[in-house]
Amino acid sequence: MTRSLSDDRPDDPAERTESDAVADAEPAAVTGGAVPDDPGRIKVGVGELAVTTDDAVLTTSGLGSCVAVALVDERAGVRGLLHAMLPAGEGRTTAVSRPAKYVDTGIDTLIGALDDAGADPRRLTARVAGGAEMLDLTDAVGPRNVERVWEVLDAAGVTVAASDVGDAVGRTVRFGPGGRLVVRAADGFERTI
Amino acid sequence: MRVDVRALGACNRLAEQGAKQAAGALSDLTGTDLAVEVTGASVASGEDLAESFAGRESIGVSVGLRGGLDGEAVLAFDAANADALLSLLPGGQSMKRSAVTEVGNIALGGFLDGWANYLGKAIDMSPPRYFEADGAAVLPDGALAGDGVFLFESRLDATTTDLDFSIYMLPDSGPFRDLIVGKTAPAAAAGGEANGGTSSTAVPYESLSTFSSLAKKGSANAADNIAMMTGLETSVDVSRLRFVPLADVPAEVGDEPHAGTVFELQGEPSGYLAILFEESSAAAVADAMLPMETDEPLGEMAQNALCELGNVMTSGFIDGWANVLGTSITHSPPEFVHDIGASTISPLVAKLSERQDYGFVIDTAIETEGIQARCDVYALPDERELARALDRLSEP
Repeated sequence: MTRSLSDDRPDDPAERTESDAVADAEPAAVTGGAVPDDPGRIKVGVGELAVTTDDAVLTTSGLGSCVAVALVDERAGVRGLLHAMLPAGEGRTTAVSRPAKYVDTGIDTLIGALDDAGADPRRLTARVAGGAEMLDLTDAVGPRNVERVWEVLDAAGVTVAASDVGDAVGRTVRFGPGGRLVVRAADGFERTI
Repeated sequence: MRVDVRALGACNRLAEQGAKQAAGALSDLTGTDLAVEVTGASVASGEDLAESFAGRESIGVSVGLRGGLDGEAVLAFDAANADALLSLLPGGQSMKRSAVTEVGNIALGGFLDGWANYLGKAIDMSPPRYFEADGAAVLPDGALAGDGVFLFESRLDATTTDLDFSIYMLPDSGPFRDLIVGKTAPAAAAGGEANGGTSSTAVPYESLSTFSSLAKKGSANAADNIAMMTGLETSVDVSRLRFVPLADVPAEVGDEPHAGTVFELQGEPSGYLAILFEESSAAAVADAMLPMETDEPLGEMAQNALCELGNVMTSGFIDGWANVLGTSITHSPPEFVHDIGASTISPLVAKLSERQDYGFVIDTAIETEGIQARCDVYALPDERELARALDRLSEP
């Protein structure tokens, strides 16, 4: 058996890494091969985003200083979730390869992906969670992330429907077909925003 | 001969592709939704491997490689994990041999496809050979004799169960070694920051074996210090250094609540160190350290005790590093954390991510006898500074 080459082989490893990261960050309307009757669950990792046009539940866990931005166009039935780690990616090379790592490039990419999936960017509403100030050691990454979210959403003209941000608590979120965001804190307390 | 550590981190992506193919194949076979949760690459010496495989049973497949890569690649499941795999399959145990062969073949195929693309050369793969092996017999031929083995480990997350498997490849098979050295270092140097004409993250090949001593010395010192402080017999269960995409680290720590301490490191290398216990372990350790019973399991007294313990562990850990590297490293006062494990580590990962996408993670599991407690130490050094320190070691 021969493992053959594909045509998209990049020229050098540095490029390889980048192109791979692009593939990682590439928004996709995936349901992960869900079995029938199971609406499916799409896990969004750190520095990733996902978009769905069906009933899949988008989840992301272990939010500390990171921030989750959930956008929905209810009329079109298109939802997307971003798990960003740092506030500003503009001008950084990694922001090109992995836009979802940053709040600004991540939100822009998410809006673009929602648009591609049939959403109208003017109808999007946002729900935001995370951005906790977990540690004194790491000069306010969380609050800076949240601040950046407000700026970028405002610039994009997206209305914020609800948020659960700040404090010093870890969070896990689920973004289901209803367009509401279920936020569970470390102590098990759950609220729907 | 130099190896770019960032390229080693990038090798993860190849392993991840293999893991994704395996996850896809398994999803089809089982009708269960599987996702790749974590993939890591590490280097381990023959000695460490022999130790860590003692008493373990593995099943898996091995394939011979010719062409772009020569030698052998092995994909193995722990016997216990193989049962988890079989429980997902309709035929159960009767499917064992064929299912493992099928899954192994697909995963190795995907993995090697990635390598072939990376190398720009086709790789011939012999038909898969199924095996059941005791101990270190699972490893490719010659693994125990050489400088060490590169291993790529993946964890697949099925809704009901986690499934771990590992892929082992020998660096000493010439082409693999040449590839990491010959192909990656110049490209990375061109793309990265120049530092005296070489990439700032390239280290001499010979220094790779230093990685395992970094993990080992640090952990052993930390464990000794716990024993000294608490009087509890303490041993290091696992310790190794891996190259991982930083963004994967929180998932690796997981969503369970953890308590412990985090530190900032200054010196060469700088970075962060987190000592995390599962909640019950944290309470048990604190309880063992305190002279009287407390009302609150992880209240202020317990927190102080864990901070004190964190202090001595961290001192031990970085002393071990400083000895290996010949540098001086200091640490900040402890900061107590108690939250979802992934959440506590996310700000550390975020801070490091401002400068790097991949990181060295030293994970160490330390166990204490007498009370059921186990902690994981995550050391997250700045990659450039660590590479620089390693580089200096090899200077005459």
